Amino acid sequence: MLRNLGMYFRLVGCDLRSQMTFRLSFWIDLFSTMAVNASMFASLYLVLERFGNIGGWGLGELAFLYGLAETSFGLMDMIFSGFDYDYFSTLVREGRLDQILLRPVPPAVQVMGHRFVLRRVGRILQGAAVLILSFFLVDMFWTPLKVAFLPVVLASQVVAMGALFIAGSTLTIWTIQRVEAINILTYGGVELMSYPASIYPRALRAIFTYILPFFFLSYYPALFFLDKTDPLGLPVWPPFLAPMVAGGMLWLALRFWKFGLKHYQSTGS
Amino acid sequence: MTAIISVRDLRKTFRVLVRRPGLGGSIANLFAPHYRSVQAVEGVSFSLQAGELVGYLGPNGAGKSTTIKVLTGLLVPTGGEVRVDGQVPWEKRERYVKGIGVVFGNRPTLWWDLPVIDSLELLQPMYDIPAERFRYNLVEFKRMLELDEFINTPVRSLSLGQRMRADLCAALLHEPKLLFLDEPTIGLDVVAKEQIRRFVLDINHRRGVTVLLTTHDLTDVERLCERVMILDHGKLLYDGTLAALNGRFESAWTLKVDFEEEYPDVSVAGLPAPQRVGRQALYLFNHRELNTAELVQQLMARFQVVDLEVRRPPLEETIRRIYAEQLLTK
Amino acid sequence: METMRLYLRVMKLSILQQVTYRTALLAGLATNFFFGLLRAAVLLALFQVQPVVNGMTQAEGLTFVAFSQALIAFLFIFGTYDVMNTVYTGSIGADLARPMDLFFYWMARDFGASLVNLVIRGVVLVAVFSVFYPVVMPATIGQWGVGLVSLLLGWGVNYAFRFLVNLTAFWTPDARGIGRAAYTMLMMFSGFLMPMRLYPDWFSRLVALTPFPSTFNTPMEIFMGLLKGPEVIPALITQVGWLVALWLLARVVLRRGLSKLVIQGG
Repeated sequence: MLRNLGMYFRLVGCDLRSQMTFRLSFWIDLFSTMAVNASMFASLYLVLERFGNIGGWGLGELAFLYGLAETSFGLMDMIFSGFDYDYFSTLVREGRLDQILLRPVPPAVQVMGHRFVLRRVGRILQGAAVLILSFFLVDMFWTPLKVAFLPVVLASQVVAMGALFIAGSTLTIWTIQRVEAINILTYGGVELMSYPASIYPRALRAIFTYILPFFFLSYYPALFFLDKTDPLGLPVWPPFLAPMVAGGMLWLALRFWKFGLKHYQSTGS
Repeated sequence: MTAIISVRDLRKTFRVLVRRPGLGGSIANLFAPHYRSVQAVEGVSFSLQAGELVGYLGPNGAGKSTTIKVLTGLLVPTGGEVRVDGQVPWEKRERYVKGIGVVFGNRPTLWWDLPVIDSLELLQPMYDIPAERFRYNLVEFKRMLELDEFINTPVRSLSLGQRMRADLCAALLHEPKLLFLDEPTIGLDVVAKEQIRRFVLDINHRRGVTVLLTTHDLTDVERLCERVMILDHGKLLYDGTLAALNGRFESAWTLKVDFEEEYPDVSVAGLPAPQRVGRQALYLFNHRELNTAELVQQLMARFQVVDLEVRRPPLEETIRRIYAEQLLTK
Repeated sequence: METMRLYLRVMKLSILQQVTYRTALLAGLATNFFFGLLRAAVLLALFQVQPVVNGMTQAEGLTFVAFSQALIAFLFIFGTYDVMNTVYTGSIGADLARPMDLFFYWMARDFGASLVNLVIRGVVLVAVFSVFYPVVMPATIGQWGVGLVSLLLGWGVNYAFRFLVNLTAFWTPDARGIGRAAYTMLMMFSGFLMPMRLYPDWFSRLVALTPFPSTFNTPMEIFMGLLKGPEVIPALITQVGWLVALWLLARVVLRRGLSKLVIQGG
């Protein structure tokens, strides 16, 4: 375990060094990524100037949901870059997955260490800025529990979405091509987590509460942080399920990953 | 002596999606995919002794790569028994691969964006190579493969030959007992090919590394291998020495003769009529029935000969004949 | 006439190629639809605050969502990077050797793909979406006709803009980053994220000075009848104006870029 962790950091270190060789493009990429994501929030902000709120959630509260989801997606996208299924599918297509299997280090460690895309920092910074802004907009009432729980929620979102990246990559072992429909879960997931659950139709709400429990990662924790009551009147514990949900998703994803590699070995490329 | 590789009745079947043509076909493929079984390898058995250097030959699609992939733990076979150095490759793969080296000629094995040296140095912790051994090997391989000229260049900017040299070094730093080479000289120029062959011979002789090599370049085989295995349509056709193969299957040798003048009849009894262009004649003969010296003597006795040239058919031709005429199928 | 036939051939090839990406087409459709559902939920929640906003009803807002999702692939909302790739790989040389104008050659290729996406992703998506939510359709044949003309003009403006963005590859190795920023502007200012009418007036007036609303917002407003009668004429004229202006600009920029390519021997 420790050995693998060491190997992981070595690999990431190497990848970071190779990214440093492209300085200017790095900054251009960073700023364009920031612009892309900031425009989404700007659009929401401008529309709220006319409407005031969405489903009873004001700008500050929406900014909290949005900032949290963006920050964690950015972090996830950076840490799990190797499992970005667009990238991973090229590993499968070009036979580079074989090379990974020929090395005496667990494949998941190698894939994660293979790629650590630093320019995702743009998205993280932009998300974090909105999140911090939201603290002031809603005049957040901080308690020790909230201070301690915020990083947990953030980490839970990162892990849960990382699990989806792993699952999406595993699928490409079968399909060879990237599976565009998985975007529904990943990019769709961030979009979904950026708004209060109460605005969605009942069927969607049920799916993303009980089957793919995204709302336990954002909406319920947000109720706790913002001292809001759930219109559906839930008990006090749902906000704290986030780490369990994330852990469960990661466990399932890794099982699927192992299964996928077995299948890969029985079919060749 | 026990075999380092033993393969018994190896079989591998793939399921291949049959694509139906047209728009209707595409939709049908989507909802009711239709598969066909392809037997890549059908009952192949062989064994390798430690220290051997064996060529594994066959036309494209014969099943060579499938065999190599099974032996390196990348594929799980459909049937049969495989033991390499006492282990089953695809079980406990992470442990198994520590003891082997693999180079695929058509794909890079090193980190694309990293300078060669960084890539090589990553291998030390990865394979738990003792630092001292690592240093020693690196110095030796750098010298033998002349890596210094490009050791600080990122892998992506290397030429094919340079990349292959770096890959070979990478495959051997952890001192594997076994080396699998899949088309190591593909796409290289003559000089680069020769350098790689010298290196492979050297590590086989001096370090005793067992080498299994697939190639399309028969010069590789002639230079490197005493023993060859020939595979076609998933079946092993031949397993034996290169010399015996030549002895059995070589086609006609040719003798080109320039005569002093244009003789009306230059045919030799027992041989087909020679092709003639002016004063030149080309004889085809089977060297197992008629030896070259006898034929030359006969001609010299009858005619004024100015120049002679004997040509042995290249190994290519022998192998091509084996595939084309199915000489080895029972 | 002869060149016209050439462009039609290019377009036909592009159509055939696009049809082979069948799983991608279906998956794209599913993704677009799902995002449509999410965006519809947001819009519905907004309209609960106010039933009619700046002359736009809830149904019209939902129609906007349906069409923006349906036309993602038709309008290449996430941008294209093909032309810049040919500059970087050098294969632009082969394209230049053809007896065709580069601008129209790529236009034919893009349009072929767009047509397939319009039929398979666009029409199907609107049809499915209309099962769940109200979708406003033109009331008269005339409105249909003008709406379609405006949509085609919008496609042209959008294409010309994308082509220009791609041409930056002649001057910088980082055209992808520039492209990402440019296409974000396109996405936001074309009304793709939110109908222009829902933004504050000062903002939409400012954006109206750019070519972006002509690509999507204008065709949608004409299509749904938010712009009607005499209001349609200046809207169409604006579209044509931008189309011609961007096309001429693309010609100039392309000539400059090519001369740079020749000088550098790229």
